Amino acid sequence: MTSPLLEFRNVSFSRGSRLLLDRLSFTVEKQDMVGLLGPNGIGKTTLLRLATRLLRPESGEILLQGKPLVEWPRRGLPRCIALVPQELEVPFNFCVEEIVAQGRVPYLPLFARTTSNDRKAIDTAMDAVDILALRRRIYSELSGGERQRVKIAIGLAQQPQLMLLDEPTQHLDIGRQIELMSLLRDLNQQGLTILAAVHDLNLVTENFSSVILLTPEPSWITGPAADVMQPQLLERAFSVGQSELAQYFNAPARSELIEVQWD
Amino acid sequence: MALLFVGLLLTIVVATAFGPVRLTFADVLRTFLHPSRAGEAQAIIVGLRLPRVLAAALVGGALAATGVLFQGLFRNPLADPFVLGTSGGAALGGALGIFLIPTLSFAGFSATAVLAFCGSILTMVLVWYLARASGHLAMETLLLAGFAIGTMLNSATVVFELHEEASNSGLRVLAAWLHGEIGVPAWSQLALLAPLVAIGILLALPVAGRLNTLALGEEYAAQLGVDVARVRVAAVILGSLLTAAAVSLGGLIGFVGLLVPHFLRILIGPSHVRLIAASALGGAIFLILSDTFARTLFAPTEIPVGVFTAFLGGPAFLYLLNRRSREATQ
Repeated sequence: MTSPLLEFRNVSFSRGSRLLLDRLSFTVEKQDMVGLLGPNGIGKTTLLRLATRLLRPESGEILLQGKPLVEWPRRGLPRCIALVPQELEVPFNFCVEEIVAQGRVPYLPLFARTTSNDRKAIDTAMDAVDILALRRRIYSELSGGERQRVKIAIGLAQQPQLMLLDEPTQHLDIGRQIELMSLLRDLNQQGLTILAAVHDLNLVTENFSSVILLTPEPSWITGPAADVMQPQLLERAFSVGQSELAQYFNAPARSELIEVQWD
Repeated sequence: MALLFVGLLLTIVVATAFGPVRLTFADVLRTFLHPSRAGEAQAIIVGLRLPRVLAAALVGGALAATGVLFQGLFRNPLADPFVLGTSGGAALGGALGIFLIPTLSFAGFSATAVLAFCGSILTMVLVWYLARASGHLAMETLLLAGFAIGTMLNSATVVFELHEEASNSGLRVLAAWLHGEIGVPAWSQLALLAPLVAIGILLALPVAGRLNTLALGEEYAAQLGVDVARVRVAAVILGSLLTAAAVSLGGLIGFVGLLVPHFLRILIGPSHVRLIAASALGGAIFLILSDTFARTLFAPTEIPVGVFTAFLGGPAFLYLLNRRSREATQ
């Protein structure tokens, strides 16, 4: 039996005196597209940072390709797993290409120059998210949607097995959200395993194969998207009433109606 | 880069020719080619002009390279050894050396240099932890640290003046440091500092490569496999070394580390490796020119070059600060 790509085994983590994750266990298999859900401050970002060794669990173990995370070499880890953070602010006038090139740092020893192999990886990454035309643009002058693509391109330049994304649709309008989700689905179909923290429940069912839902106890529910996206489970996790939740899921339909009237 | 290098050589020749006794470029070149031949022009060049021009080149190159290192480290284009107070720390450390080890107070160059290095590095660590305490690196912290250490240095001079055994030469050195004056250094001093500055800048190049990754944020850099703590320590040590070298020659010369990288960033882009090499050369050119103006503009009276760079750098600094705060409010 092959080991799962990513596995959390009884992982606990506290922030201050508050227990955020309590003996959390789950697995992400190769080719999965997993949505990470839960209310604000529940520990979604923390989970992603634990998985990239930016934080260490208080107890329990995290395994990547069956090997404990702590045993991975410093620059080996980012070649297997890439984290696309929520925010990326870059000082100075770095252009898009220079920023995407940073995704090659795990492959470059201190004194090495970029090889043609690296340049190819950078171009392929920019092509995959359709930002080749932006390569000379200054990153800090880009729009939210363009920045999101640049961040994903850094992750792709790392040529990872697994990509973690922290709220990739945040600050994006509905059109850019849909574009982004279809981009992630394409990448997933090309073989990239994805674990993404998402806020917008409307995006979950049609885009993700399975879901990890963090709940306030703290506990969690994991399973196929259709099984987890049940009203009674979501009500409990997000502490909302039945009617509010139903209204939330119907909201897009109503905004369409307004648009028709406007025309 | 080659252009900057040629520019530096030309600047050295031209600047050497200017002074109270006007020399021709031919005099200067002849001296370079046949250094052994005696003559009035040669005596002026070898004894007075050239050491000073080379000192200005070393100080300018070291300060500008340090500026790039600190700007990359703090992810802030306003960081500079003078603004952060490391120049002040180095001067304070050096002053302690001059006064507390009186036997070395006159020619006590080495003890002074070591203490200047300690002062510089201590200031950086202090600024770093002050900034860390507030969670993220606030501009106020940086500015106030520089201000506080500058004030301490000023007060320290008063204390040293009261100190009876304080030698006059020590006080004179300290006064020169406070204003940022490049004197005429001994060749032995240059021989010691030139390799130090060159090695410091060469070692800074690989660090600068990692600063490009650090521009994405420390956590992002860590995620990409960069040993952030090591890069930070390397940048602080190299920056402090270069600052100490600069201060021991020229004292508190402000804004070179801010103006030169800022200007070059517009010309060649923000990539730190290219920028640090170009800034080292550009800083050398800039300070040679500044010092030449400072000593010839109101001849025979000289104004300290630090005063001159403050006149240029102060407004540029305020302009940048204003632009940044406007960006922040947008």
